[in-house]
Amino acid sequence: MTHALEIRNLVKTFGGLVATDDLSFDIKTGQSVGLIGPNGAGKTTVFSQIMGELRQTSGKISLFGKTLGTRPTAERIRRGVSRTYQIPRPFLELSVLENIRVGFMPNSIWSMITKGPDKDREIQLALDVGFSQNDFEKPASDLSMGDLRKLELARTIATGAKVLLLDEVFAGLTTGEISQISGLIQDLRAKGFTMLMVSHDLPALEPLVDHVIAIERGRMIATGTFNEVINDETVRASYLGEV
Amino acid sequence: MGLRWFHFAAWGLFALGLALLPELVSKGTLRTLIFANYLAIFAISWDLLSGRTGYISFGHPFLIGIGAYTSAILTKRFGVEVEIAIPIAVIVTMIAGLIVLLPALRIRGSYFALVTLAFMELMYQLVQVIRPDLTGGTRGMSGIQTLTRGAVNGFYLSSVLMFVIAVAAWLLLRTRIGTALTALGLNESAVEGSGLSTTKLKMFAFMASAFVAGLGGAFYVHYLGSIAPRALFDINFVFTIIVAVLIGGASTIVGPIIGAFFLTFLLEYLRPFLPGAERYFIYGGIALLLYMYQPKGIYAMVMKAWHSLHERATK
Repeated sequence: MTHALEIRNLVKTFGGLVATDDLSFDIKTGQSVGLIGPNGAGKTTVFSQIMGELRQTSGKISLFGKTLGTRPTAERIRRGVSRTYQIPRPFLELSVLENIRVGFMPNSIWSMITKGPDKDREIQLALDVGFSQNDFEKPASDLSMGDLRKLELARTIATGAKVLLLDEVFAGLTTGEISQISGLIQDLRAKGFTMLMVSHDLPALEPLVDHVIAIERGRMIATGTFNEVINDETVRASYLGEV
Repeated sequence: MGLRWFHFAAWGLFALGLALLPELVSKGTLRTLIFANYLAIFAISWDLLSGRTGYISFGHPFLIGIGAYTSAILTKRFGVEVEIAIPIAVIVTMIAGLIVLLPALRIRGSYFALVTLAFMELMYQLVQVIRPDLTGGTRGMSGIQTLTRGAVNGFYLSSVLMFVIAVAAWLLLRTRIGTALTALGLNESAVEGSGLSTTKLKMFAFMASAFVAGLGGAFYVHYLGSIAPRALFDINFVFTIIVAVLIGGASTIVGPIIGAFFLTFLLEYLRPFLPGAERYFIYGGIALLLYMYQPKGIYAMVMKAWHSLHERATK
């Protein structure tokens, strides 16, 4: 199985603060990996470096065997990696379908002008993530947090990326919404998407991952199956508050 | 694009109205309408850039002025045919649009607005000191070739220009590029996070806006037959353009036309009562009230009324 994502000796410093400390890991194509750690461990910083939103101080990030180097975010997305954010970033005045449309858009001004939107694909994706027909024309500003998370997931999928970085997808959701998003992620796994997921909701994360990486202060402290990692003494001491 | 019969009907009625106006109103009113048409063109240009992308330009006369001065200099000083001078003026304005784009790649918000204001002031100073033999210096230029004679012809030319620009811009923004530019104005990082190059999108918006500004500026100078730097690179002119867009309804193309006509007639009809700058207090007051109660402008009010009528009719 080829590696969808390879992180090698990744380092990110902000002045004297080391946010990512010589971090290395691989994710195989189709694998679903959890990235856990206490607040401030540097999980989102890893996402930001993979997406090119932050430039790493040193180290290498490769996607499907090709180094991403200093490529801008938009190009990384076109190469197949996309992310969601802890706080969703919808286009508030645009409707649900228009938000999804932005994800489907080609990066060519000419195509944007000459080719109309593929409404069938937009509708299918909206239905796939759990929107009903009544929601299609709703502005994103009218959506609940659960719906905003679904919308962001839909836009991320629409970009065509096969590697998804999901940042705190369960944060701020009700139990029902967690179960709905969880079902969606299971569907994505079944469809062969590769995923790296950050979540503090460990019970929700457990059924969704093949593998877990725990980090603290930007450094990997444990890796293995979910049970191996949460039973690891270092992880329990630093993250779960138990020795 | 989601085009419906009533879209064509509305544009058709508007065109018909414009065509019939010279039969219905006085020559004086027609001259006012010509200014309204040009203000509408400048407002559409501003709306293409600032209304959609959120990059508020306080220096739009910089672009309009480049279009106007280029065509005026080419025709008056170098004897270039006006049919050739105007396209060259548009190209030069688009190149200038690229210069305005550069700061937008790094800054936005009030910083960008101030930089554009600086561009306008810089242009004001430059046309006075650099080659005044070409630009006419502080006094500007007069005796520039005009394209039409008489109010009726001037009105038809400006109306056709405004109508074609308005329909083209309206159609353009109904494609996916319109959605992408709106998204850019709402959340630039999320557009980047959707795999789209924000630089490309900004460049398109700036080029489209500069194209319209250059075209409008060039035709405007060949209507007036003269150009004066103080009248063109004037903060009141900037505010008139912006207020026209905001009163009418930003990001709609139709709104700026409504705003331009409303504002031009408001200022004209106030002239006998308030001949000085006091008139601007009145339109400022109206703009303020409108922003407080309907920030999306007259267009949104009309659309709301239309939808409620439509709902009642279908019940």
